[in-house]
Amino acid sequence: MKTGLFKFKLIAVVVFVLLIISGGLPLWQHRHYRVEVILGPGVSEVKKLSDFLPAIKGSQADTKVYILRGKEPGGQVLIIGNTHSNEPEGLLSVLIMIENAVVEKGTLYLIPFFNHSGGLNTRPGEGYPLYFSVPTSWGKKTFRMGNRDASPLDQWPDPDVYIHYPEKQMLSYLDIRNTNRTWPGRKNGLPMEQVTYAAMELLRQNKIDLAIDLHGAETMFPVTNCIVAPEKCTRLATLASLTVKSMEGFENHVEPSPVNFRGLSHREIGDYSDTLPFLLEAPMPFLDQPTGPKTEALFLTGQDEFLLSLAKKKKLFVPYDQSGWPLEKRVGQHLSVSLEIIRQFSKKSPERVIIIKNVPRYRELLENGTGYYFHNPAVVDQDKIVID
Amino acid sequence: MITKTLFITAIIIISYILAKWQKLSVELSLFISTLAGVLAGALFKTPALSEIPRHLLEGSFTYLDVILVFFSATLFITIIQESGGINFAVRQTVVGFARFRFLALFLLMIIVLIPGALTGAGSVSLLVVGAPVALALKGLGVDEKKIPAILFILAGLAAAAPPINIWAMILCAGTAIPYVGFELPLGLPVLVLGTATILILGRRQGKQSELKEFVDRIETVPGMNWLRLLLPFAVFFALVIAYRLWPFSFPVLGLPLEFIIASVAAYLLSPVKINLVKVASSTVNKLLPLLSIMVIVGMLQQVMAATGVKGLISYSVLIIPLGLLFCLLPVIIPFSEGVLTYGGAAIIGIPLVWYLNSLGYHATILISALSLLWPLGDGLPPTALIGRLSLIVSGYEGSYWSSIKKAWLPWIIITLTAILMIIFSSKLTFLVTG
Repeated sequence: MKTGLFKFKLIAVVVFVLLIISGGLPLWQHRHYRVEVILGPGVSEVKKLSDFLPAIKGSQADTKVYILRGKEPGGQVLIIGNTHSNEPEGLLSVLIMIENAVVEKGTLYLIPFFNHSGGLNTRPGEGYPLYFSVPTSWGKKTFRMGNRDASPLDQWPDPDVYIHYPEKQMLSYLDIRNTNRTWPGRKNGLPMEQVTYAAMELLRQNKIDLAIDLHGAETMFPVTNCIVAPEKCTRLATLASLTVKSMEGFENHVEPSPVNFRGLSHREIGDYSDTLPFLLEAPMPFLDQPTGPKTEALFLTGQDEFLLSLAKKKKLFVPYDQSGWPLEKRVGQHLSVSLEIIRQFSKKSPERVIIIKNVPRYRELLENGTGYYFHNPAVVDQDKIVID
Repeated sequence: MITKTLFITAIIIISYILAKWQKLSVELSLFISTLAGVLAGALFKTPALSEIPRHLLEGSFTYLDVILVFFSATLFITIIQESGGINFAVRQTVVGFARFRFLALFLLMIIVLIPGALTGAGSVSLLVVGAPVALALKGLGVDEKKIPAILFILAGLAAAAPPINIWAMILCAGTAIPYVGFELPLGLPVLVLGTATILILGRRQGKQSELKEFVDRIETVPGMNWLRLLLPFAVFFALVIAYRLWPFSFPVLGLPLEFIIASVAAYLLSPVKINLVKVASSTVNKLLPLLSIMVIVGMLQQVMAATGVKGLISYSVLIIPLGLLFCLLPVIIPFSEGVLTYGGAAIIGIPLVWYLNSLGYHATILISALSLLWPLGDGLPPTALIGRLSLIVSGYEGSYWSSIKKAWLPWIIITLTAILMIIFSSKLTFLVTG
């Protein structure tokens, strides 16, 4: 009897160790997987966020800032992706700009992996794929699927409640690792507060005119398919929204930034600097709760039977049919709306004009797909490749 | 897709029933149904067979933070117990307040509410003050069977009480609604329902002579006094409150470390020598079923998401007609908590709040009302997290259901309150401040 029990325990231990190895290895590989970023013709300099707050240097909170300077001076804009690393349409939009954009007037600052630690994290309990691949003419380009929050390996422990600086609003304890709840940040705060503080310093020191934060949102979320903007940006946002609708044929309404909800980029950047902030939400069916399996295909196509049925019952906040809401549509919207906000700002402020060329818009993305705009690292100069 | 997902759901349920039929424990049964579910999913490559170990391992981390809090809090209270503090507290409370029974019960209710209200976890209430309060209730002549039921309801209300309500915070984070203005919509029902619970379940069973006998039976450790007993609790609450008072200068310690520091204080102040290794291993032994269920529920949640079962549950709730939905909410919400613990708030709660809010139901009142229903699910299988803890801390040795079913009347009153709050949410907006 005792021998039988011992054998059972031994087998259980062996199975447990095998589970840890076979399950842990993919997670380790995910954290150490690196993405090749090709420096396009417009990139003048690659800095790091730690240049604006040395305290984060050498940590996983630090991230690269790609700077594209125009031939002529003008206005300046910051665009960030992967604030939430499980909403990578922002990341892809920013990477397309890095690889293709040429700035003629003004300066473009791009941060593709804003919550760098979140990009190295996974989302326990949510069953996400570890990676997603975008098809290109030269093969597949693979990216990590990250988490909304920074990894506890990089920022831990969490408090039992997160108290926002400086407004003292109480938020969920998890939000202390969410870089869209820690704006305007704190110089001596926790790493994610330092990330947003460093970004605020970047905005303040360079007197940046516009900040655009790119996200994905559930189709069942009322604040989706929209530009979230505070009062001082409403006019620009409305003009951009109306223009993309009439010129490019897609909806992107304007949502006011709530005054009493703290920590968000569209609220705090405007309140704590002279920069005009905008947050763009593209509908991302993958994030919705009532969907089928959380697969790479769902992420890429946005097609889901449950959502289709709910759309027929009018329970979604966006039009939804069998074509779903594919990645190229989401990325295309982000690119077009961002370019339109910049264009409207330039029209309004002739002394701060920003002219960006060679960035595809909505229609081109729909025609060519997202992967079309990524260059083959095998055929470009090695000094043009940055491992991020 | 719907047929495939229904098939996987059926496999999960059937394998759980079969495992229970073979008289396996809840933990093992749930683990077997998780494995069966993920293997059934692999038939359709959702997930791929090679991905199964990763999903199981990743899912097991879902509630790691809760597990650490459980362990450190239990270690703390076990040290207090070993030092003779609990027996001392019970003796003093019962002797001091026996003549003012309602006041004594009301004070005990507040004592249970405070730790949960401050941390958002009913389990912390039970782990920190559950054992002494259970003994005090016994001393006040409350029926032994009803004590776990009282603790279960009060711990649930403690978790729902402001300022920290994890369900509400998950819903606010997921629906982009600020977590402000919840003090009255949460605080008022919690106080009223808590008082109703102690009045209903706290009636005297024993006689005064039995009380004296009970008090005499309690063994006390020489040298234990109020200072030695209260100082470790003061250390814990001081650390919790200090972060709230000075959030930008006080270091973030996290609940597990705060409990460990309080444990060190309790160890140093104990009038008797305590074998720390023995206490730590007995704590692990005591908590093992609870900790393993948290690990397995995390795995199950991950598997349900990867196979689409989680989406099916959420979808099923959303297609229910409104009238029927109100009738079913008292079942659906606690059940989701029983299966998924906090995961239920994300899977069902977030789309539900968006849906009802779009129909004109006030979001803050709605979230507050749902937050009263979720704790009830902590007494339901398969997890029955708070229900089982209530039995552990009160030392009740009868069957689980014989005690928890005593909570039926407060359960119904809480359910009715919550449903009425939802239906009349637009008329209760005066409660929302800030």
